[in-house]
Order: sequence, then C-alpha cells, then structure tokens
Amino acid sequence: MSTFRQRFLDQVSRRPGAPALVWHGEVTTYGDLYELADKARTRLEWSNLQPGDPIGLLVKKSPQAVALVLGALLSGRRFLLPSPALANSALTSLFAQASCQAVFAPEGEPEFTPDPSIAPEPVEASDLDDVRFMLTTSGSTGLPKIVPLPQRGIDRFVEWAGAEFDIRPGRTVLNYAPLNFDLCLLDVWTTLAHGGQVVLVDPDYAANGRHLLDALVRHEVNVIQAVPMFFGLLLDVVQPAVDRLEHVDRVMFTGDAIPDRTLAELPKLFPNAALHNIYGCTETNDSFVHHLGSGDTAATPPVSIGSPLPGVHSLVMTAEGAVLEGPGTGELYVSTPFQAAGYLDRARHTDKFVPHPTGADERPWFRSGDLVRRAEDGRVFLIGRSDFQVKVRGVAINTAEVEHVLLEHPAVLEAAVVAVPDPIAGRRLVSAVHRADGSKLNSLVLRQHCARRLPQAAIPSTMHIVDTPLPKTPTGKVDRNAFGSKGRTP
Amino acid sequence: MSNADAIKKFVIDEFLPDVAPEDLAVEYDLLADGVIDSLGLLKLIAWVEDHFALSVHDTDLDPNNFRSVQAIDEFIDAARSQVAGS
Repeated sequence: MSTFRQRFLDQVSRRPGAPALVWHGEVTTYGDLYELADKARTRLEWSNLQPGDPIGLLVKKSPQAVALVLGALLSGRRFLLPSPALANSALTSLFAQASCQAVFAPEGEPEFTPDPSIAPEPVEASDLDDVRFMLTTSGSTGLPKIVPLPQRGIDRFVEWAGAEFDIRPGRTVLNYAPLNFDLCLLDVWTTLAHGGQVVLVDPDYAANGRHLLDALVRHEVNVIQAVPMFFGLLLDVVQPAVDRLEHVDRVMFTGDAIPDRTLAELPKLFPNAALHNIYGCTETNDSFVHHLGSGDTAATPPVSIGSPLPGVHSLVMTAEGAVLEGPGTGELYVSTPFQAAGYLDRARHTDKFVPHPTGADERPWFRSGDLVRRAEDGRVFLIGRSDFQVKVRGVAINTAEVEHVLLEHPAVLEAAVVAVPDPIAGRRLVSAVHRADGSKLNSLVLRQHCARRLPQAAIPSTMHIVDTPLPKTPTGKVDRNAFGSKGRTP
Repeated sequence: MSNADAIKKFVIDEFLPDVAPEDLAVEYDLLADGVIDSLGLLKLIAWVEDHFALSVHDTDLDPNNFRSVQAIDEFIDAARSQVAGS
C-alpha cells in the first residue's frame, strides 16, 4: 500500500500544473504547493530540533497552513494539530503534554507564546511508533484529549476513501471543516493524495450561506462532506424551486444526526448526488457509512448509519452488560483499521480503549459512547450520546430522543434538551426551541405535542421558546451548555 | 377577578409564562402533559391555601382536584362551602 507521502509526491511529479487548492478564488497548483511545503520542511529542519522531537502546529486554514502540515509530513515529524480557537492556557497544556519542542505557525503569522502560568504536566505517553498526526477530541468539557493516529491507519483510510468517493484528478472536493478536524483526513488529505482539487472554505465565512453557495457554484464542486449545519445554512439561502447544484455527485453528512427537514431538501438541491451518512469519531476515524442513494426516495427518514466499512468490526452492548444479538438498544463499540492505539495520555484510556467486553477476541475495541438501536433488519440507527441517558424521577430518558420529538413539530426549527440538577427533583429536563418565523407556537402546544409521543417524565419541565437560532459550538452543534445553566424560568 | 381568573393567572405566571390567558382553556388537563409536575402541584396547593385562606387536608390531595383550572375552582368552592357549613 502506498503511503500518503508517496501518493502526494507522485501527484506533484506527474501533474505539477494541476490545481491542488482553491482559497478565496485563488488556485495553488500541486507544483506550487510542493514548493511551499518544501520551504516549510526546510524551516522545520533548520529549527535545531532533535530527530524525533514532536512539534506543535498552530494553524488557521490557508494554503500556507496546508503547506506547513505537508512540510511536517515530508520531514517525517510527529505533530500536534490543535484547534487555534482554544484558549492560550489550554494550548500551552496540550503542547506540553505532547512534549512539543517547538510550536510553528505559517510563515509571516504571529508565533505562539506559551502561557507562563501553566506548569507542564508530563503524561505517560502511549506507543507513538508510526504516529504523525496528533489530533484532539472536541469534548465540550475540560481539556481536549490528544489522539495520536498511526500513519498506517491514515494510509489505509486514504486508500479506502479515495476509491469510495471517487476522488481523483479532475474532481473537486469541498473542505468545510477547520484544518484541525478529523474530517480533513477525507476532504483535504485524501484529495491531495489522489490528485483532486480542494476548495477550502475560510472558517471566518463558514456560517455565511451565500458564501458557501457561491463556492459550490463557482468552483463546480463534485464532492461535499460536511456537518448537517452546513446543509441547513445552504438551504436557508437557496431558492428551492430554482437552485440546482447539478455538478455535485457525492454528498456526505457526518458528525451529527441530520434533521429530517434538511434531509428532505437535499435531493432537490443536489439532483445528481448520491447521499451518504458517515459515522465516525476522531479516535477511530470513520467506521460506518450508509448509502442513501439519490433522488427523492433517498431522503426517507430515519437515516441509519448503515454498515461497517471494510475491515471494521462492531458490537452493541446493552445496558445490562451483554452483547446484543438481534434487534435492541445499546452502546456501540467499534474496532477499525484506522484507529488510534489510545489517547496520548494513557491515564485517559480507561473505559474508552478496551478489550472485547466478553473477551471473545483479541482486537482493540473503542467504546463510542453513542447509543444505537438495531432494527429487525439489522440496520443500525444512532439515538444519541449514551451520556445523554439520564434518569428523571426514576425513568431512564435519552435527551436526544426528546430533542428528536420536539423537532418533529412543524413549527420547530431547532431544539435542544438538557437535564439540569434540581435540588428537589434530582434532575429535570430543560428544553430550548427555535420556532419558525411567524409561528404562534407556545409551550402549551408543544407540551401536547410531546405528551402524545413521550412518557410523562420525558416532557421537559421548562420550555424556552425563542425566535432566534440557538447558540452553537464552534463545530456547529447546538451548545447545550449555553442554556442548560439558565435554570427554571419564572 | 373571579376565582377561575385568579387561578388561571397563577398557573400562567408560574408554569406557562409564554401562553396568553385566552389560549388556556379552563378544562385543559394540566397534569397529563406535565404543565404541573409533582413539585408544581405542591407549589399550587401552597398558593391555593394561602390565596384562598384554606387548608388543604391530606385527604384532599387527590391530584384530580387540581387537574384543570375548572377542577381547582370547583375544589375551592367545595372546600369553602364545607368551612361555611361546619
């Protein structure tokens, strides 16, 4: 199997004039990108580092940023690629944990200054043999975990994804996610390994539907991978009866459950596209894909996560601790050919990187933390995070299911539900709903809607109904922490 | 303000701040879909006792007495006539 490095260099030597990146309308060819990457590599090699010293890369998205990552890959150096949006103190801790001997920003951008008040806490590191990329989890609480990804796993992924989504010379792929996201392993790195063209979306414009639509039309994008929010933003600005993005033939959504109303519009906007629901996480990369097909029949909810990718093993553990045979609900465990051996900090493996729960095989397994339902026909549906499983007055409730019910109301555009501690009840549910413009939706109507579909304990005690979009995390998911702390309305 | 109006105002202020009085029917079942949960019920009873100067006995704590604005209104009437008759 070819390595990423071989594949990229092969594209450079065979087709140096072919477009590699598009950034704000400007094209960087494979030849130009190689020159930038080689300069970055030289800069790293002249930086007085010992062989094998890991480095930190603090990059916002740009061709120079892509070149800097390529430079590190070309020089064979291990690097930590955290979100540049993290607080300086968090970045300082992460770079220290990963033993980064230096932190680099693209040429001409401000250098990183560590927070002097943070005392480095060395960690007992996992086996880092063959690791280049070190990404971080996007956990909403506490310091993100560092995930060292073995290059062999990435090479296997690049091979699979290139063939699966027809990424090759002459094809154009949209990159929506920030450069530190695992999604870039597909839309940036797989594309560059296979000779395609990457249209980079500037994160500063990522919430601007007009800008996104313009990029898709202007650059005749063929392949899109993005979180469901991306498609929601796009649908807000298109004219449903008129706009058709006919050159798009692959649409992949991932990272969150796609709202039914968003899904229903996709076949109209992308009449020639095969739709795919991809399931994965940073620790294991993609593990399931569901091919919905194309046309109106593709958009029939609910959307399953499909079947395991080649070489992926999966199992479902019930709440009682048994491996589920046949239909039922439980937590999804996966074992993939792409996965990390563990977190960088071995102390954080506990309960995540595990052996087979009943010792049935020797594979390394990963507990996804996702609650799934397996139907009679074997299809697997994502219900929500198993962390979203809460008990309210003794009744087990999944807040993601409550959100799903709220979203089924025609006047509800967005919904979020959290369980908040209550001094008397223990826990109670608080919901926030963004209602459609001009709707007269009130909490009484919404309660009746819920009462017909949910057990009583699952009906939120407090219902905030607002006319503005709900607060979002940087990844476009509804920020449940932002309103959960508000508590009971008077 | 009639008793029914006062009860409705309390229920709305306390449990349905975004609902207009005309949207809450007097026979609307407040318990079935959790407008008033078990804690809310205690709050409501405390208010009834205070506002209407009644004491609600344990035997009267049947949730059905508090299921709707109308039920609460009827319960208060009955409790008062009992007080008057004793």
